[in-house]
Amino acid sequence: MKPFEYFESGTVEEATQLLAEYGRRAEVLAGGIDLVPRMRKGQIQPEYVVSIQKIHGLDCIERDGEKGLRIGALTSLRTVELSPLIRNDYVVLHEALRSIASIQVKTMGTVVGNICVGTPASDVIVALFALGARLKIVSISQERMISIENFFVGVKQNVLQPGEIVTEVLLPIPAVGTRGGFLKMARTATDIAKVNVAVVLRIADDRCEHAKIAVGSVAPTVIRAKGAEEILKGKKPGKEIIKEAAEVAAKEGNPITDIRSTGEYRKEIIKVLVRRAVERVI
Amino acid sequence: MKKQIANFIVNGRPYELLVESHMTLVEVLRDQLGLMGTKFNCGVGECGACTVLINGKPRLSCSTLAVTAREKNILTIEGLTEGTTLHPIQKAFVDHGAIQCGFCTPGMILSAKAFLDDNPNPSKEEIKEALAGNLCRCTGYVKIVEAILAAAEVIGKKRRQFDQSKY
Repeated sequence: MKPFEYFESGTVEEATQLLAEYGRRAEVLAGGIDLVPRMRKGQIQPEYVVSIQKIHGLDCIERDGEKGLRIGALTSLRTVELSPLIRNDYVVLHEALRSIASIQVKTMGTVVGNICVGTPASDVIVALFALGARLKIVSISQERMISIENFFVGVKQNVLQPGEIVTEVLLPIPAVGTRGGFLKMARTATDIAKVNVAVVLRIADDRCEHAKIAVGSVAPTVIRAKGAEEILKGKKPGKEIIKEAAEVAAKEGNPITDIRSTGEYRKEIIKVLVRRAVERVI
Repeated sequence: MKKQIANFIVNGRPYELLVESHMTLVEVLRDQLGLMGTKFNCGVGECGACTVLINGKPRLSCSTLAVTAREKNILTIEGLTEGTTLHPIQKAFVDHGAIQCGFCTPGMILSAKAFLDDNPNPSKEEIKEALAGNLCRCTGYVKIVEAILAAAEVIGKKRRQFDQSKY
């Protein structure tokens, strides 16, 4: 790997200062499970690597009053997977993490890191779309909150400016009766998804009061299947309604043909997974 | 970063090593410490052959910058053997035919150790999930899972014997 200048930041201020100074010549190191392999392959060759590993307070999962549940930038995928808080109240995220096979990758990798890499096939991002997660972006001069749905602008491209880092993910407190589920289809247990789907629903008085359906691997970014959601909202989720919603969802993605699957197969699988996910959650 | 002296703790022993920021942990373990048990295979974090335990947790040494492993407890496969006495997991792998070419074995055993330390009484399914980050091209995994199941039993028995012997 090409040599680089290495900094270990002690605070978020230090890190954002360095990142602002070096701009696109610098990369952030958290878990490193995406960064280091890509550097080894020569796909990226930063002149500066700014480690945030030594910053206190970023490895945490904690309730922040009524704001929701905070997951700090250094919290590993494995920590979140094993958290009882997540398993009880955010099942869709727990299931998404279970679908990632390698324990080592989950031990090293972070939730925020996974988000910032931003592959449209990310199981984590699909779950977070369905949960309505928000991200806290910090720079040397300001902090801002952004919905995860507004964070991505293209394949592995996000709105972060030089000098900005994501310090946490905030999950809203789920209303009583909210349920969720995640499904993924892949060639093998360890492979990236052909299609992945996350569904979060709330049923009240037999009717679907709230529905978020997120689909990954079928567009340049993870998408919400809003057409499908509209079919379900306000109605009794019977077999016919679910089938209709699934069919509408299949039209909302624009999957490509690649090494993992054909576009046609993916379109069909969107329908199948959305139907199965909704049926399972109900 | 110029070459800097950094402190490492490997298999319980302290080392002062000269490292540059772009060196990965697997290179340092193999090339500077001569610990060849940790294997360099895919080199991009996809096969698990380079697995080592850092502060008890399984990590991929090919994807770990050596500088980030300073001052942490690193366990390689060499650290499992006490003199010439095999660790129960190592013995179980031998006894159950879980080793063919042996290349995946160090990573498998260390992943198994980390797993059994937290899950002393696992099911076969749990073992398979825990080892999902370690690939094997030879064995088909059946005997590896059986070996880990057997090792769990042996370790459990030893623990119970030890507890009883205190009285």
